[in-house]
Amino acid sequence: MKNMKRLSVTLFIGLSLAVVLASCKAGGDKPGLEYAPNMYHSVAYEPYTQITDQSSGSWLTSIEYEDGHGEFYNSNALNPHRMNMRMPPAHTVSRNKANVLPYRLPKDSLEIAAKIKSPFEGVDNAQLLADGKALYTMYCTHCHGAKGEGDGKVATGVTIDGVERSAYAGVANLKGDAYKDITEGHIFHVITAGKGLMAPHGSQISQEDRWKIARYVKTIQK
Amino acid sequence: MIKVSLHSLHKSISILVLFFTFNLAYAQQIPTEPEAIANGESLFNANCKTCHRVHQKLVGPALANVYDRTPSIDWLKSFIRNSAALIASGDEYAVNIYNEYNKTQMTAFTGLKDDQIMNILAYIKAETEKGPPVAATPAAAGGEGGGSGVSSEYLNIILVGMLLILVLLVIILVFLVSALKRFLDQKELSEEDKELVHSPYTLSSVTRSAGFRFILIFIIGSLGFKAVINGLYSIGIQQGYEPKQPIAFSHKLHAGAYEIDCKYCHTGVLKGKSATIPSVNICMNCHRSVKTESPLIQKIWAAADWQPETLSYGPNQKPIEWVRIHNLPDLAYFNHAQHVNVANIECQTCHGPVQEMEVVKQYSLLTMGWCIDCHRKTDVNSKGNAYYDKLVELHSASNKEPMKVEDIGGLECAKCHY
Repeated sequence: MKNMKRLSVTLFIGLSLAVVLASCKAGGDKPGLEYAPNMYHSVAYEPYTQITDQSSGSWLTSIEYEDGHGEFYNSNALNPHRMNMRMPPAHTVSRNKANVLPYRLPKDSLEIAAKIKSPFEGVDNAQLLADGKALYTMYCTHCHGAKGEGDGKVATGVTIDGVERSAYAGVANLKGDAYKDITEGHIFHVITAGKGLMAPHGSQISQEDRWKIARYVKTIQK
Repeated sequence: MIKVSLHSLHKSISILVLFFTFNLAYAQQIPTEPEAIANGESLFNANCKTCHRVHQKLVGPALANVYDRTPSIDWLKSFIRNSAALIASGDEYAVNIYNEYNKTQMTAFTGLKDDQIMNILAYIKAETEKGPPVAATPAAAGGEGGGSGVSSEYLNIILVGMLLILVLLVIILVFLVSALKRFLDQKELSEEDKELVHSPYTLSSVTRSAGFRFILIFIIGSLGFKAVINGLYSIGIQQGYEPKQPIAFSHKLHAGAYEIDCKYCHTGVLKGKSATIPSVNICMNCHRSVKTESPLIQKIWAAADWQPETLSYGPNQKPIEWVRIHNLPDLAYFNHAQHVNVANIECQTCHGPVQEMEVVKQYSLLTMGWCIDCHRKTDVNSKGNAYYDKLVELHSASNKEPMKVEDIGGLECAKCHY
């Protein structure tokens, strides 16, 4: 009988342990139990993590920080919004592989921009076009369509479960008369600064890539 | 006297102008034939649609009634062919329009012929007479992603109900057995029958037997053991983590239905360690004009301090605090560019069918075993990459199998832990 009791106590402890452990599993809003939490919550500033709660992780703290914050606290009180990242200072230029300076023509200088020559002027190889096509597919197709006819899914709108969802009005048909004779410089400038209803895409696509797209657009216009 | 004569002169001129335009408008009848309208529609879609709609103001004015409100058809033709020249000549109507639309120059459509412009006008006239389209009722806005969840809930309820009915049936049967027993006890039975009725193997005797208890304890014990092991294995694994985000962005809609490439928003993925969470200006590429009335889009506008009047960003910007889902511990190094740009691996290989996810969750284990498994199985994407030429040469000299990631140090500790 005594044996029996011991067995049932062991069973009970085991089962409750199982229940407790099952609740450690990740799902929904719960990230789950971390093994070695210090490794998941970096001491160094992390770009996409920001924990502004000073006391967070203080149960685990192994280092005595001067301001007494907890182990998981990860934000920079000196930055705007206590973010870990900062905007680059004004009037500074990032170094890049191609050693090109930023393109600075303002939005309304389309006429001048149209005269700028592409750095790929005179270059004509399959790799350039393949790159251009890949970039065009990545950044342009969903509006301008695979063939540039302004018939991407975003431009035409989609219907989900019988409900018509919004379409982006005013997507250019790149094969239309108005765009047939535009130069690569014109295309480059419009990608960079936007025009009409098209928003500027300069922050997303590097200068080199924008020139590659411009070249590809000229080839699909033919 | 002079004043009066001036006035009358003005009057006569305006009458003359009016007469003139009247005359011209009637001289050039807008065609009404269906072919002209159909031709005009395709011309309109190819050339005008980017900036104009018939009933809606876009970059340029709405074109309904344009043939009536502008000075003349000839004026329209010259404006369409070269608006800059017309504005430069000081034409009042042209200058006013130019100023009203923030000095946006209309593209010169020098290639459009007279009859083509007339066909476009025919299409505009037909559309004007049809009137603006009735706005679609946003009835199903609340029903997004509802269907499947509800039906599975019903299924659960039905299952529980059936279980309850089964349990009730068992109870009823037990009652029946005991009632039958009592009834048989009152009768005179032979020895054989008595033995049958009072079998030594009753329910209680079976449950009290040592063998039964052993089996029961063994089953419960092993189930519990499995649960404990499973629980221990789930520690440090965030697979299935599906946090609520500050703005309910749907990948199913954007990446799925609208087919927007992952890399359009996650721009760092080809170039850097992190795939990057898109900055608000990327949202604003579309949402400056799409779905602007939605409260969720208003949150984006507030974060970007978007000024719809001037189409610019204000100074009071604040970051949107998205909740991080994938978090590798500091002890492991991972780089997106190496995997997506060099190895050309699809995003979905690790992140799962994100284009079908209403709410994004962590799809993969992201454990070391998971990484290593893939490094053992995957061939190196060495095609057209001179960096791998000599490695491939050396590898194929001694091995017939294609070069895997593990063959070039993909399992070395210091590749990821340093």
